[in-house]
Amino acid sequence: MAERPRARGAAVKSEAVAGFDDVTYEEKRKLFEEVRSDLRFPDYLYGCYECGICVAVCPSARFYDFSPRRIAQAAARQDVELIYQQMQEDIWECSQCFSCLRCPRGNNPGGIVTIMREVAVNHGLASAKEALEGYSRIIYKIMSTGTQVSPDMLQPDAFPDWGPEVADVSNQLALWRRALPPETLHTTSTGWDVSDRTLIELYLIWLETGALDMIRDVDEGLHMILEEVMEERLEEEGIER
Amino acid sequence: MTIANQAAPAVAVVGGGPAGLAAARTAADLGSPVVLIERLGFLGGMPIIENYAAITPHLEPAEVAMGRMITAVESHPLVEVVLDTEVTSCEGEAGAFTLTLEGGAGGSRKISAGAVVVATGFQHFDPGRETQMYGYYEFPDVIALQDLEAMLKDHHVVRPSNGESPARVCFVQCVGSRDRQIGNEYCSKVCCGIASKEAMEVRQMLPDCEVFIFYIDMRMYGYWENQIYWPAQEQHHVQYVKGVISEVLPKGDRLLVRGEDTTMGRPMEVLMDLVVLSVGMEPSPGTRKMASVLGIEQNKYGFVEAVQPPLDTVSTSRVGVFAAGAALGPADLEDSVSTGAAAASRAVALLRSPVGA
Repeated sequence: MAERPRARGAAVKSEAVAGFDDVTYEEKRKLFEEVRSDLRFPDYLYGCYECGICVAVCPSARFYDFSPRRIAQAAARQDVELIYQQMQEDIWECSQCFSCLRCPRGNNPGGIVTIMREVAVNHGLASAKEALEGYSRIIYKIMSTGTQVSPDMLQPDAFPDWGPEVADVSNQLALWRRALPPETLHTTSTGWDVSDRTLIELYLIWLETGALDMIRDVDEGLHMILEEVMEERLEEEGIER
Repeated sequence: MTIANQAAPAVAVVGGGPAGLAAARTAADLGSPVVLIERLGFLGGMPIIENYAAITPHLEPAEVAMGRMITAVESHPLVEVVLDTEVTSCEGEAGAFTLTLEGGAGGSRKISAGAVVVATGFQHFDPGRETQMYGYYEFPDVIALQDLEAMLKDHHVVRPSNGESPARVCFVQCVGSRDRQIGNEYCSKVCCGIASKEAMEVRQMLPDCEVFIFYIDMRMYGYWENQIYWPAQEQHHVQYVKGVISEVLPKGDRLLVRGEDTTMGRPMEVLMDLVVLSVGMEPSPGTRKMASVLGIEQNKYGFVEAVQPPLDTVSTSRVGVFAAGAALGPADLEDSVSTGAAAASRAVALLRSPVGA
């Protein structure tokens, strides 16, 4: 791919991108090609006239130096260097709320972020490792037991970005739920059991779809433990893969 | 046949481009004799003079589309076409003008006409007058929209410097338009659409060639939005970058364009093989001259002033003289043929009105 219009500064090879070691242009191009060749990509990006409505409605744009417009533009311009930088930084600042779907051109910048994240995770990019570091326990829980985080597991100080109210919510969960009834009353003691059949099915899904492989490069240790747990269980069930 | 000598007063149409052809045809179809006077030796105006390839937005070849208009006028029994001829004076008043014609085989002669439609059009802005430094006369690979049209018409888009296919082409918008320094404060209306159309044609002709458009605002009014702008981006992957190019510099055998990518918030310097200047419209020398010969008001830019705007688009300051097309200001082809027909109808109506003007 030929070089693209970009900043004079960015044309000079820096030793680090977003604080992580830089890689070759070829490597960056390969990552971009993977994003672009994703089946969903043509439905997520038509053309951008840079109106900024996606930024106007973006909650993350209020708190971070994050712009869904820049995501769409970089992808449209096939700006390999900028896209790589975004994969090492910007994409983890998106909350995946998809408010940006109100794009008048029908673009889906949040969807482009989804694809970029998947490629970042699949290739074990440093930013992906860092972003998922705090989630290894959750990934382990979900993938090994089929259960998810429930509100009563929240430690008041574990998720500072959720705001100071989270402590109050945790402490008064029952009261809050009477005030604002949720769809399920999910806690560690309710809706927590996963039947054997469901769990086996989940293991097969994690393995067959490559979902488990996705975390191999991000957290090798976790990947090893999970793979062992799953294969052991499937062996007990007499399922051969 | 000499139409002007018939009993009914003729409508004299000055200029044989799209507006003049539409005016001549309309007046004749309404039953009025018409004298169509053209300075050059052929009809068709700018689309023919400047070798336009395909007409925006439907991409019909200009020669075919204009050919239809020309044939309709030339074959009309009520139209006399006078080529290689200019109007040098206009005496009298509405209903009874006497025009002096110079040139052609007949030398100087006078004709009478009841009304005049001036359709003398525009000229492309001369990029040598630009305030930015684009080097149109300095670098062979810096060209203007109409230069690329001529190459597209030949199906042979190359870098003039070496005859090779360009790998990267960019368009620079608003050259000679929207510029107080130059004195052309107006938008030339069509350049966004023409540049985008040409960009798509280049992408189709040279699929490996990257094409960029550097712009201030993209002005793709009405259906041009979905007929030109969106397809250029979505199907042909033309890259639109908001930011004006300040200068074009030579670098090796390529061109370095300098500007700001404003929506990304960063300065940029990019290498190009071919730079196309999207030049705007200025009144043609013929429009300036005819305004003076006919004694009609011009606006500060030299275009003919429509004196009862906005709902009367064709009346000038002299009763019985109407204007059409790009003589009135920047106009696309639809505008030009529409005002051509409107001016002709008004002229014929005036001649038939029992109470005169």
